[in-house]
Amino acid sequence: MSSAPNSSVRQRLLYLHARTPSVFSEILGYTPVEPIKDYRAEITADVPDWPYHTVHDALVDGWQIVQFPHLQAPIDDRDLDVVGYEFILQKLEEVQDG
Amino acid sequence: MDKSHLLTDMEMVGFLVNGYHLLELDLPEGLNERIAGRLDELDHNPGDAIAEEVPELWQAVEHPAVKGALVSLLGEDYEVQGHRHWHCKQPHTGHMSWHQDSTNSRDTRIDRLLGLFYPTDITPEMGPTIIVPGTQFRNAPTDRMATYTNIHGQVPMVVKAGTFALTHYDLWHGTAANRTSLKRHMIKFLFRRVRDNRAPTWNHDPEAMDVPTAWGGKRDDPKNVLSFGNPIGVGQSDHYKERQIRWKCWNNLLGVADATDR
Repeated sequence: MSSAPNSSVRQRLLYLHARTPSVFSEILGYTPVEPIKDYRAEITADVPDWPYHTVHDALVDGWQIVQFPHLQAPIDDRDLDVVGYEFILQKLEEVQDG
Repeated sequence: MDKSHLLTDMEMVGFLVNGYHLLELDLPEGLNERIAGRLDELDHNPGDAIAEEVPELWQAVEHPAVKGALVSLLGEDYEVQGHRHWHCKQPHTGHMSWHQDSTNSRDTRIDRLLGLFYPTDITPEMGPTIIVPGTQFRNAPTDRMATYTNIHGQVPMVVKAGTFALTHYDLWHGTAANRTSLKRHMIKFLFRRVRDNRAPTWNHDPEAMDVPTAWGGKRDDPKNVLSFGNPIGVGQSDHYKERQIRWKCWNNLLGVADATDR
């Protein structure tokens, strides 16, 4: 199988912050990380429509979970910390620079 | 003071739920342009001395609408703190990640506010400040926010010239990239409560909370907004905790000595 110049199979990442640890709960945060030189994920004033509403939507689209939310921390039912539960997903795909 | 500038119960509750309140100031003709012009010409950042370099800024800080909101939220003898900063987002510069100012010691009181003044119109391309409503009660180390970019319900400060935004000190905030050739100006002020309330300092209706709890119905009154507001749609456990903290804040603002949970 031949590849296009400047392309190779690389790890695309997706940080999804869901309402609960369930893959079926709604996504509150969406951060794609593309394995392209100089790529930076950023906060934007105009938020584009996210392609997925839940982590499960992303699984259906071929993403794989590489890290589930950490739930080992002591449960404090009074204090609030970060927003949502972080899932990290990957896709191994051929990616071309520029 | 003129009570017409004090906040209403709904505005107070809105602040407790969302963590910010916007004021569009009716400043004298040409004042915003003069402030922006002087900032454009500054060749250094004077830090805390920005209001000495651009004294016209005091006309915004001391505007009756700003004073009214500050009295409402921080009490009649609130303090304008000495720290202030000109945040000049230079042309063609990148975004700034989410953060809370200072270290983690978030409180269940309303004691410190940021005041963000914008002397020009701010467009989405100019690198607006962006806030996440409802995050002001989270003890979240800034480093833990590094994997977040866009968050559901975030609000860009795309505002008109002369807007003064009051935010809870601990509200998550960042900026978008400035993709224009213009400098984006924002001047930050800090305000602090100096004593506990013994009574409400806003336009409070003592009967405002005497309405039924709307478990599944209309929620457009102060009591039910305070209980059920969920601006970014967090999960049930976080929402219950937010509700408890808001009610503590509310009771504290009322001057209830033994502020209890609801």
